[in-house]
Amino acid sequence: MELLDNLLLGFGVALTPFNVFMAVAGVFVGTLIGALPGIGPVSGVALLLPLTFGMSPTSAVIMLAGIYYGSMYGGTITSVLINTPGESTSVVTCLDGYQMALRGRAGPALGIAAVGSFIAGSFGVLMLMFMAPVLASWALSFGPPETFALMFLGLTTVTGLTGEHALKGFISMVLGLMLAMMGLDIISGDARYTFGYPELLDGVEFLPVAIGLFGLGEVLVGAEQATDTRILEGRYGFREVWPRATDWVRSRMAIVRGTLLGFFVGILPGAGATIASFLAYTLEHRCSRHPEEFGKGAIEGVAGPEAANNAASAGALVPMLTLGIPGSGTTAVLLGGLIMWGLQPGPLLFVKNPDFVWGLIASMWIGNAVLLVLNVAFIPIFVRALKVPYPILMAFVIVFCITGAYALNNRVWDIGVMLVFGALGYLMKKLYYSPAALVLALVLGPLAERALRQSLILSDRGVMIFFARPISATLMTLGLAAIAVPVVRSLWRAARRRQRPATA
Amino acid sequence: MSRADRIGGILFLLFAVWFGVAGRQYPYWSETGPGSGFLPFWLSLAMGVLAVLLLVSAARPGSAGDEAWAPRGASLVRIAAVAVTTVLFVLLMEQVGMIVGTGLFLFVMLRLVERHSLARSLGVAVGGAAGTYLLFVHWLRVPFPTGPFGF
Repeated sequence: MELLDNLLLGFGVALTPFNVFMAVAGVFVGTLIGALPGIGPVSGVALLLPLTFGMSPTSAVIMLAGIYYGSMYGGTITSVLINTPGESTSVVTCLDGYQMALRGRAGPALGIAAVGSFIAGSFGVLMLMFMAPVLASWALSFGPPETFALMFLGLTTVTGLTGEHALKGFISMVLGLMLAMMGLDIISGDARYTFGYPELLDGVEFLPVAIGLFGLGEVLVGAEQATDTRILEGRYGFREVWPRATDWVRSRMAIVRGTLLGFFVGILPGAGATIASFLAYTLEHRCSRHPEEFGKGAIEGVAGPEAANNAASAGALVPMLTLGIPGSGTTAVLLGGLIMWGLQPGPLLFVKNPDFVWGLIASMWIGNAVLLVLNVAFIPIFVRALKVPYPILMAFVIVFCITGAYALNNRVWDIGVMLVFGALGYLMKKLYYSPAALVLALVLGPLAERALRQSLILSDRGVMIFFARPISATLMTLGLAAIAVPVVRSLWRAARRRQRPATA
Repeated sequence: MSRADRIGGILFLLFAVWFGVAGRQYPYWSETGPGSGFLPFWLSLAMGVLAVLLLVSAARPGSAGDEAWAPRGASLVRIAAVAVTTVLFVLLMEQVGMIVGTGLFLFVMLRLVERHSLARSLGVAVGGAAGTYLLFVHWLRVPFPTGPFGF
């Protein structure tokens, strides 16, 4: 019954006219951002964060979360119509979505993706609703050692699971932690690495860093290769988009599998929506009765991954809201936003700010319903937006980066920080470092440092305190495993290379 | 990639050493427990180790050669033009004002960098500046730097 009361409280918050407007605006902008190649959900959330200054945190997060899950829908449009993913979570949709479009079946590809996303998104919110309070109340018993171990796990998994470039992921993370050391020390009050600049007393602020890395950096990478996009012309009204009976029959189990897989992969820190969509594609390929059709326009190859990336975006909110540990770049930026608005992320959020948490959850029901309508009946609007030439889009993103960074504290200093991190973001992206790991470390750094030092003050056996308590020991072991996995993998590869010398 | 990695490794190593040395002025341990220099010390050590690992992996014979990651030719010109225009916008912002600066920036980007038509460049510049004014100054009340024109 408590759940029902909470949900009623949430709808009371989410259904106020302003919050409904924010949810609709968020999902609309999110779809647009997802559709436009060159700006992804992280950039979108970072760029629009400054617009929410002065709003209540609840309204702000309702809009920003709308951008986040809305962009999961929008990415499909670009993948299907121009064979260029709007963002990484839709890469796999290109494989069969574009092939369907070439055969004149772009409509059903978009339609099944929208319906699949809606089912997955709604299921994800439902699971979030049931799981989050349980997890939060369990986490309430955490002391500093558990909190530190949790952050250690969050940081190492996000970084360690970044694939081939794990070493560069760890460098990015440590760089983020080093930046987090700048400013007033929270325990002793010492001013660290400030070089006499009063602007640095508050530390390196996360927003100009995020806007620089994800907004300006992204745009600079795009500026190099800006080419005009060629859109597959066609009619994308409701009749063309709504899938046929045979499409339903083929896709329904793909949607169910994608939804379940996506949600649970999304909860894991470091995995996220992109990995979920790839896993879902592989799963569908294995389960299909027509595996030979994959890559040639199989509708299951669109339905499964698109359901998975939406379910994963809801899943990723579970650790962010309950434990204060973001599982991806976008949730790291959202978390940074929460801290900026004065909310304390973590289990106490459910106790201290129930209207915020439940308002957000309720707004996600509204947002998903609006997204279904937008993505089934209003595709032509987004197709038109795709025709905006990239240079114009790029110029506006840069203006947004500059004005947004300035609006944080009304000072030019933050624009300077943003420019420096824009250049750094460009280099990081080109050289396979991880801007997401840097931002995550910058956001979690001060919290992790406090928990670490408090734990060591409590301890009479040094760092062994982390291994003396069952929960923190488990979390620390998992975190250490996340560091060990890439090391073992690279040693294994090196050994295999030695066994099979290259035949030149 | 190995050359970029070698340079990166050296830079990270230097940064780690500097971070560690600069951090020695903060106490490593205090009466109550770890001091403000505790984590900086360990982080500089971690960065040092990672930088050495990067250098080792870049020097390995099997590591990938120099990929063409750096922009060349037309791409380099484009990206340099975008970067210079952006920096100029920021430098001149306090003199000409944010809104006028936004219009000028959009115009230069579209007309001179991207070679769009005069009419389109002007339209986008004026529209963009007006939009920025409405959104940030009128709605969000951000006190942007103002130039001789008052906005």
